Amino acid sequence: MGFLTRKKMMSIMALGAMVGLLLLPIAVSLPALTSGGVAFAEDGKKEEAKVEKGRDVYYKTEGIVVGAPAPVTTDGPKDYPRYNFESRVLLWFANQQHLYYGSFVLAVPIFCMVVEFMGVVTKDKALAKRYDQLAYDFIKISLTAYSLTAVLGGILIFTFLTLYPAFFGYLSSIFRPVMHIYALMFVAESGTLYIYYYGWDKMKEGFLKWIHLSMSVILNIIGTLLMFLANSWIGFMMSPAGVDEQGRFLGNIWHVLHTALWNPLNLHRILGNMAFGGGVVAAYAAYKFLASKTDEDRAHYDWMGYIAMALGVAFLIPLPFAGYWLMREVYAYRQQMGITLMGGLLAWLFIIQATMIGILFLSTNYYLWQAMGRMRGAEKYQRYIKYLVFILACGYLVFITPHTMVMTPAELKAMGGQQHPVLGNYGVMSAKNGGINVIITTTVLSFVWYMRGNKVSTVSWAKFGNIFMGCFFFFAYINIVGLAIYGYYIPANVRVGLSVPQVATTLSCLFFMFALNSIMMKGAKQTGAIEWGKISARSQYALIMLATAFTWMMGLMGYIRSSVRLFWHVNEIMRDNSPWAYTHTVGFAANMISFNVLFFWISILFVFWLGSLAAKKAPVEAKAAVPGSAPQPAGSH
Amino acid sequence: MGQAIFYAIVSVAICVAYFLAVDHFLMDAQGLDFWYMFRK
Repeated sequence: MGFLTRKKMMSIMALGAMVGLLLLPIAVSLPALTSGGVAFAEDGKKEEAKVEKGRDVYYKTEGIVVGAPAPVTTDGPKDYPRYNFESRVLLWFANQQHLYYGSFVLAVPIFCMVVEFMGVVTKDKALAKRYDQLAYDFIKISLTAYSLTAVLGGILIFTFLTLYPAFFGYLSSIFRPVMHIYALMFVAESGTLYIYYYGWDKMKEGFLKWIHLSMSVILNIIGTLLMFLANSWIGFMMSPAGVDEQGRFLGNIWHVLHTALWNPLNLHRILGNMAFGGGVVAAYAAYKFLASKTDEDRAHYDWMGYIAMALGVAFLIPLPFAGYWLMREVYAYRQQMGITLMGGLLAWLFIIQATMIGILFLSTNYYLWQAMGRMRGAEKYQRYIKYLVFILACGYLVFITPHTMVMTPAELKAMGGQQHPVLGNYGVMSAKNGGINVIITTTVLSFVWYMRGNKVSTVSWAKFGNIFMGCFFFFAYINIVGLAIYGYYIPANVRVGLSVPQVATTLSCLFFMFALNSIMMKGAKQTGAIEWGKISARSQYALIMLATAFTWMMGLMGYIRSSVRLFWHVNEIMRDNSPWAYTHTVGFAANMISFNVLFFWISILFVFWLGSLAAKKAPVEAKAAVPGSAPQPAGSH
Repeated sequence: MGQAIFYAIVSVAICVAYFLAVDHFLMDAQGLDFWYMFRK
């Protein structure tokens, strides 16, 4: 058996082992999954007289009671042991930090997979090497963060066990098999990640490269399943299912997992994590760009920042739509819960959220306009940017206008009522849907301009294509704004449906115009190369802004989602009887979120610093082989 | 110039028809009437 063959065999065996690791937790837990615990089922047979049935609070199906009721807690050291500090805040901190790192290490391997795939399929060998190096850089960053994620997960469990033992005991009694699967999946994730990382050099060419790429697919399947399982716990806390009204488990673990909000949460979180991961990597690249001493380094980190930003924004664009779906399901599950979120106690937090979303899109657009500076030929778009700024500003201002304000009686009198006579009209959903869709469409337009910045189409129908694209965007704006205005003249039950064609209009711009632009730019004449590294420092601050806004928004949305349960540990099943079962003020929440953001960024800077230590110790010949260290201007975006 | 005007007319016709179709059919798919205001 030759050396290469042995290598191939080893790689295939490693891949097989990963698939085995992926399936092992499911196989091990299968009996428990089907019956909700074999022991329970056997006990049931022996003591048929004692069989008790209950009705599922969500699915409304009957099932045999196999669990204990949710504990009725009392404020005291038994159920709520504590330090001389608010336990909820400690848990908040531990949870948020674990989530930040968890999101990061979930998202980065997905980027890594995408970039590695781009490297494998691209025909330009120099570009392929650069993609490969970029993917390696990505996974290197996430590796150190991965250990920290595990440590933070441990801290989180200890915090639960020591400060909320009754609640955590109940939750783990319901999710017993799922928690074991989770733990085994984590082992599988760790094993796969280390083989994937350390096998990079040994599997860099030919068939072995495809095996390596397959490993990244398995790594990401495991990571995504891990997240889905964790989501099922918060889904259960918000919209419990699979238990009766006393909280007794009815033996069907799928019902417990598949709650009303599980799938919307899964989609929203995976998109959010991807956008967040892109933001963090882009900020890392921006930091390295600003600290670079050579043109080569600046070129490399400029390119890295662009790719990370583009990937992040690709997931940011559909994120608001996933958010709408989640909210729609919240309303469908409990209308009161939706009202608390968007029209009641937590509504002001949504105004802050809208502000943050607007900042994300403004930062993205600003970065793209600045990035046109590194392309010769893109000057032709510069004079139109002021119009995009105007459109974005209008969309943003409408999007962040509150419905009502907290005012003193004198202010109320001066304004003539709770609502401003003019601006008050923008504080409704009809206007806000229009605002955000205008913002997203403008971002798509900025991307299209960026993609054709240094190119002139050479297809025979270029003139028609350009006119058609202009018309399409123009009528898309007309349609979005027109539907927003139309919403004021029709009843609420019809108006609510207008958001669907509005979203479809935006997505039409995204998919059709990107596709049309790509076809038009195939074989296009280049007016100048992209000069990576020749970009303003301001653009890099925009990337840092993007990442910070994302981190803050994630903290905010997590707080909103958690707070909507009000005084329930598990909504309508297990009441929170601790002294902290109240909703914090907006100011306190904002300070706490800011603290979490600050802590995350300080700690991740430490992680980046650790990563840079490893890079400095790399052997000279290895460093010379790094393709990204001497980048050639890429021929394409 | 004449060619550009022709292209513009064709583009406008396609875009208006497309977006009206999007509005009509997506509202219809939800069991709602896009032309509600004009019918009342």
